[in-house]
Amino acid sequence: MDLEVNGSASYCDDEMVENYKQREDKVVSLREAVHKFVPDGGSLTLGGFCGRNSQAATYEIVRQAKRNLTFIDDSPTDQLDILIGARCVKRVEIAWHGVSIFARAKNFRRAVEKGIPNKIEVEDYSNYAAGLRFLAAAMNVPFLPTRSLLGSDIPRYNKRIRTIKSPYDGEPIALVPAVRPDTAILHVQRADVAGNAQIWGGLANDENKARAAKHTIVTCEEIVRKEAILRIPNMTAIPFYCVDAVVGVPYGSHPWSCYGYYHHDVIFQREYAKCDETYEGFLGWIREWILSCQDHAEYRRKVGRKRLLKLTRMERTLNRIPV
Amino acid sequence: MAVSAAREIRDGEKVFVGIGIPMIAAFLAIYDHAPNAVLFFEGGYIGGRPPSACTDVGDTELGFRAPYITSLWRTFSDLQHGYCDLAIIGGAQIDRYGNVNSTAIFGDGTYQEPKTRLAGSGGANDMVSSAGRVMIMMRLEKRRFVERVDYVTSPGYIDGPNARSRSGLVGGGPAAVISDKAIFEFDEDTKEMYLSRVYPGVTTQEIKREVGWDLRVAKPVRVAEPPGLREVRFIRGYDPTDVILRSRRLFEDIDFSSWVALTRNSWRRFTPSIRSRGASPNVSAW
Repeated sequence: MDLEVNGSASYCDDEMVENYKQREDKVVSLREAVHKFVPDGGSLTLGGFCGRNSQAATYEIVRQAKRNLTFIDDSPTDQLDILIGARCVKRVEIAWHGVSIFARAKNFRRAVEKGIPNKIEVEDYSNYAAGLRFLAAAMNVPFLPTRSLLGSDIPRYNKRIRTIKSPYDGEPIALVPAVRPDTAILHVQRADVAGNAQIWGGLANDENKARAAKHTIVTCEEIVRKEAILRIPNMTAIPFYCVDAVVGVPYGSHPWSCYGYYHHDVIFQREYAKCDETYEGFLGWIREWILSCQDHAEYRRKVGRKRLLKLTRMERTLNRIPV
Repeated sequence: MAVSAAREIRDGEKVFVGIGIPMIAAFLAIYDHAPNAVLFFEGGYIGGRPPSACTDVGDTELGFRAPYITSLWRTFSDLQHGYCDLAIIGGAQIDRYGNVNSTAIFGDGTYQEPKTRLAGSGGANDMVSSAGRVMIMMRLEKRRFVERVDYVTSPGYIDGPNARSRSGLVGGGPAAVISDKAIFEFDEDTKEMYLSRVYPGVTTQEIKREVGWDLRVAKPVRVAEPPGLREVRFIRGYDPTDVILRSRRLFEDIDFSSWVALTRNSWRRFTPSIRSRGASPNVSAW
């Protein structure tokens, strides 16, 4: 199986891209955004949390066959499992990794236990600790303290977590290091062309990831006029000055949910999990759903318009965005 | 197991809920005897009334009728602040002091190259660190109930009395372990796990055989009340595709449209007031 489908002449030359945050119109294609801002050997974080996940971007990273990524996140789901299986990842810094309640992340297991398709290094955190790492970077401080992690083996195997006595009350406290990924890709409901991104539903750690990363790509269900943003500025979770690129990708987190837009496609994910049982099965899955689709529009057509609209109708029965 | 766990949730409590079978227990409690319990999910959804059993802690059902939706780090900050009375987690291994492993089974290997790599802490470490009390749900098997866990993902009482406060942990620690055959609690003085209640028809000897240390036993061991018809009916209706409990092999083969139909039936049943208001999705980009 040849994963080098589109080749990958990646780069992330700071000099060439540093002005992107200053632009007024940051809209690019997903292919261009991933090509420009996800360098081979770089570090990457993706947004969402069991919902509003950067699925379309994950597929594009696989199509462009990025290599040797360090993947940093709180609790990644099938995005990381797919990237590991597609040989994109060499190291993970995470709190949890599964596909869903009904499925383990088999590529993650195969890679850690048996080195299939390649060996990956693991650094464990807890979810709160992982979140604080992004918050620390967003605040531009080297670390943040927490009352989690104490008395556990997490700091024993992860030497970058320190336990100290607080200089103020003398009590033990754990410190977690800030993390500044090269790239964050965050999927949101809507954004304007400058990158003002509005999020409904759980925010996960996306506000902080946007600020922690050197380069931030916002993918969104809808690109809206600036006026629509100005009507409800409180909903802007990620302001334009953090953002390098804006990409419109409807159904960009399918099969995961997107609050107010579509419901979680549990059945699609069950089929992924069945294929993921073996590495050959997984390769068949990415051939069918990623490599044979030129872009996310083709993936959407393949999933089927009727099915996607059904998921939207389900979601809007429960949650509607009040605008 | 889910029913026993649900009964430990008291009305009005603020409960931080881990992924998996703890979710069903929590939902049963709010629809049954604890309508004022407030459920925290790490995806940022707090106090919602999901109309069916969703599968993941960031699913949008959790936002239905939620008074507060926020970020992940804020949800955990509220937990660390001390707002949560109870946390419910699962895990792969537990030892006599209630330390839980959900990171890796080492076997002959190491942390970087274990025999079995598990999902990892997720929010479990944070929950046991800071919640008022902790309930752990785990199937009773000898490979799970071990003398020492390979890796302490979520500390219980560590190695005995006072170890939690020495380590700086502020939460109360494990209060109960709910298994599929019995319920365990922790001795107030020694902090060691003991057999508290068995399910009907299960003997103390059977339990001791599945535990990897010399288990202490309450005198007398009581018999836990079996699930009531109302509780069983609720779970069947609320998890119509059997995606959480997986006792009926329904979820494995069901197709998309049957899944939609069953889910919607559950939504109609548990939220009589909601009606589909039709879709107006963005299809302009197609």
